[in-house]
Amino acid sequence: MDLFLQYLVNGAVTGSTYVLVAVGLTLIFGILGVVNFAHGEFYMIGGYAGIFAVTAMNLPLLPAIVFVLAVAACVGLAAEAILHRPMKDRDATSSIVSSFGLAVALQNAALIVMGPQPQRLNLDASKMPLLSELPTEFGPVFLPHQRMLIPLTMVALIGALYAVLRYTWTGRSLRAMAQHSTVARLCGVRVDRVAMVTFATGAALAGIAGMLMSSVFLVYPIVGNMIALKAFTVVILGGMGNVIGAAVAGLLLGVIESLTSAYVSNSTRDIVGFVIVIGVLLFLPNGLFGKSVGRS
Amino acid sequence: MKMSICALPVIAGLAIAPLGLGGYELSVLMTILFYVILTLGLDLVTGYCGQFSFATGAFYGIGAYTAAIMSRDLGTSIWWHLPAGALVAGSFGLLLGIPALRLTGHFLAIVTIAFQTIMYLAISQWTSFTGGQVGLHVESAGKLAVFGTTLFELGSLRSYYWLTLGVTTVCVLAAWRLVNSRLGKEWVAIRDDETLASAIGLNTTRGKLTAFVAYAALAGIAGVLTAHSLRGVTPDDFTIWISATVVAMMMLGGRGTFIGPIIGAVVLAIVPEFLGRYAEYKMLIYGTILVIGMTLVPEGVIGRLRRSASR
Repeated sequence: MDLFLQYLVNGAVTGSTYVLVAVGLTLIFGILGVVNFAHGEFYMIGGYAGIFAVTAMNLPLLPAIVFVLAVAACVGLAAEAILHRPMKDRDATSSIVSSFGLAVALQNAALIVMGPQPQRLNLDASKMPLLSELPTEFGPVFLPHQRMLIPLTMVALIGALYAVLRYTWTGRSLRAMAQHSTVARLCGVRVDRVAMVTFATGAALAGIAGMLMSSVFLVYPIVGNMIALKAFTVVILGGMGNVIGAAVAGLLLGVIESLTSAYVSNSTRDIVGFVIVIGVLLFLPNGLFGKSVGRS
Repeated sequence: MKMSICALPVIAGLAIAPLGLGGYELSVLMTILFYVILTLGLDLVTGYCGQFSFATGAFYGIGAYTAAIMSRDLGTSIWWHLPAGALVAGSFGLLLGIPALRLTGHFLAIVTIAFQTIMYLAISQWTSFTGGQVGLHVESAGKLAVFGTTLFELGSLRSYYWLTLGVTTVCVLAAWRLVNSRLGKEWVAIRDDETLASAIGLNTTRGKLTAFVAYAALAGIAGVLTAHSLRGVTPDDFTIWISATVVAMMMLGGRGTFIGPIIGAVVLAIVPEFLGRYAEYKMLIYGTILVIGMTLVPEGVIGRLRRSASR
């Protein structure tokens, strides 16, 4: 039972990164209709940017997080200019090939620049403000500060995002675009700006996930492949375009994976998500929480 | 008919090529032929039938591992491996075709990527069956024999090249026959408007499944040829980057045309040979081609030429 709680917590930590990556992905799909296969590369770039900020620039934790947010948001803006702007009037499948190409190009650029060997972000837990005051043991559960940081950041960022979407004009225009882009445009929503905000937000969230995760696991050029697939799993489980659904499904996938690797076998851990997603797509094409909306 | 007249001199030229070329050039030619088979297969399912697939690498690997495992456990020669590779890969193609019945566009693309990843994980982690990360050694192809009389050994590079050329020619002819058959026209109808295709009474289920099987079987054949050519298989020969390469070849030439993907495969398979020490930039170039190509010439070079010619 004690171990079970530990597995649950470990799963929630991994799940939090899935949430951060998947929410951006689901926003980009829900609002712009772009299937971004290069989303895992935002995560990878976030990881490397975090290592650069902490090791080369010697930034403390909070400025480093801000730096990573900024770098990833800029990458997101560039991706928008490549993947979305030229494709606006084409059918949805165009972005599949071009974002897939962008993913391959970015991975190989990283392979050439950073080399294939995995790298770790050394976050010194004792230097973290506030966080270092917290205990690392909760009854039977052991949770180091680096790991604790991940769900905390996730809750803070997703909460902020939810508030922005709910209560600000920018958020309203984003949601309007998601509901009906033509009507939104007629009502004066600035579509270009919405597209840029969406991509920048999505990339920034994924970048932070990459940075935080690389202090626990390692970052390497093709790390984004698996992360993007996991995020797609989450997005499909939660219903394409559904932010809350993605948050719930992300935590769920993290926990399921953690339990699978604990009680079944470590090698089936990565496969279980895909089996679930293929099953869900076959039997519940709108996801677990998706409303059934006719697609044409 | 015009097509076959144009193709004859090319095949004849390729057939006499070994007499004047060295080992390196022959290996490059063989690599090109493997990619021609792979790209044509993908063109059947994506270009003609309109179903996206990023799982080419997986089917390629299934074919190659079929050859490697049969050669290890049964001691058979390539004459058994070719049909077996096509059959096994084709069955997996049927399996992947089933989700394609309900899913379109990006959902299908995600499922094919998931399939590719599962296949890679299975090949690299099921060590007792597939040799894991180290891979497997593959015996030489065997010999060409008629009623027990050996005509020639396939051990040498030159004879193996002729075999590859022969198999590739058969594959290209088969694909050509397929796209010009009634089935091929049904694929195009499904691609252009699936609802309309089923409304006029076409069996879209059969259409999509046959396209996936044909695609997977061709990739499987290419895998068998590659396994015997490399004399070994490792999981890293069959990653999603192979899929990306093949997609780039098809998109560059023009999906939905027959000659376009062949030209795309030839061009993109030769390019790395000229990059020399910059060969590590190969995948970066392919990725960039996908992005730029999709933005500027989404119908591919041949597609664009045809369109401007028909104006």
